[in-house]
Amino acid sequence: MANIKELRGRIKSVTNIAKITKAMEMVASMKLRKVQNRALASRPYTEELQGLIGSLAEHVGDDVERPLFRRRAVKSIGILLITSDRGLCGAYNANVTAQVTRLRDALAAERKDVALKFYVIGRKGYTWLGRRGYHVERFYSEPTLENLDFATARLAAKDLVQAFEDGDVDEVRLMFTAFRTVARFEPRNDPFLPVTTELGWFGGGPNPAEQGKARMTGNYLLEPDPETIFERIVPKYLETVIFDGMLSSLASEMASRRMAMKGATDAASRMGKDLKRIYNRARQESITKEMLEIIGGAAAVS
Amino acid sequence: MNTLRLRIVSPDRVVLETEAQSVRIQGIDGSFGVLANHAPLMTATMPGPLQYVDVQGQRHELLVTDGFVEVRDNVVTIAAEEGAYAHEIDVAEARAAEKAARDLLANRAALAAEDVVKAEDQLRRALVRQVVGQRTGSSIDR
Repeated sequence: MANIKELRGRIKSVTNIAKITKAMEMVASMKLRKVQNRALASRPYTEELQGLIGSLAEHVGDDVERPLFRRRAVKSIGILLITSDRGLCGAYNANVTAQVTRLRDALAAERKDVALKFYVIGRKGYTWLGRRGYHVERFYSEPTLENLDFATARLAAKDLVQAFEDGDVDEVRLMFTAFRTVARFEPRNDPFLPVTTELGWFGGGPNPAEQGKARMTGNYLLEPDPETIFERIVPKYLETVIFDGMLSSLASEMASRRMAMKGATDAASRMGKDLKRIYNRARQESITKEMLEIIGGAAAVS
Repeated sequence: MNTLRLRIVSPDRVVLETEAQSVRIQGIDGSFGVLANHAPLMTATMPGPLQYVDVQGQRHELLVTDGFVEVRDNVVTIAAEEGAYAHEIDVAEARAAEKAARDLLANRAALAAEDVVKAEDQLRRALVRQVVGQRTGSSIDR
């Protein structure tokens, strides 16, 4: 029967798909663990810098010229957009890019003429922006996000600070995905420059300023002077903020992919089961029919 | 004997966490030593060798690139972009980097001021790496 043959083919393809998605789920799960370990390994460094900057903020007078901290009228916004390089990870990329749309709509609603300049990590974001005619200032494609290293974060931080200092952009925002738990990630649109005190403690850590205050008991010797140290530490600190955002996004991507693939595997196995049932019934039917024919034939002969 | 706790952290890992008798660090204003019960201090580091004496009185040396030092409550924390043991350093690669930097600096008139600074920075790093990398005798075995 043609129907039975067709069913057999479908069952086969569905089980094959389930096998592939299952494998992808396991790969994503393994990569997620790897990213989490990296995030864990970089945490002491990040915390130390955040602590130092918090402590220093108390010591640095307001009279010092600090261009990275100054707000100004916003005519253009630089956006560091972090998405994935590959798809098949559920709504992960759509959630991030929705932030772009939301910002654009908000600006349009206020009738503000603000240019958006994009700095992009992740190919999906790059193509998304390209299709919609946004202006991409810079696309960091090497190394790929999966093999991310601190050097990329450093480079991006340098570009953004440079653009801000040169007046190419009057504000810089980070659009990435914050990793809360393996089942919860949050698309973010966080201010990056000018530096604000409420900047950057992803994963819900303590506010660096608060943390610094708690540590500042007794008098520190600051050599050569607070301003010099402060000036050196701020760029480093910004690097860690971006690095954190990259790790956080990557972890979210992997977790998201794992969830999507698990869903696909479950759906495929459910479908396979249903098909199997239909197939068995059809097979049984044909056997019964054949037997009836044989019995009928035998009865007619005797 | 009074000891202090020495921590070196980089973006990739916690490079070192140990008890030490004394630490010698390349600060932005020159080399300085830290003993137990040092007053709270905060300063920046230059790329250079970091020496410390462990509780057994053994001397060790590491490479630390630019970062920050905090001394507080007998804990010396160094947050640097990179920290490496001597045996982890690729001396040949450092030599190549040195050569590249020297080539760049050879016609410094053609370079923008910013690039000169960058090349000099690269040169300094390469030289420091070689110095530390070659002194494997005093490195940590682990």
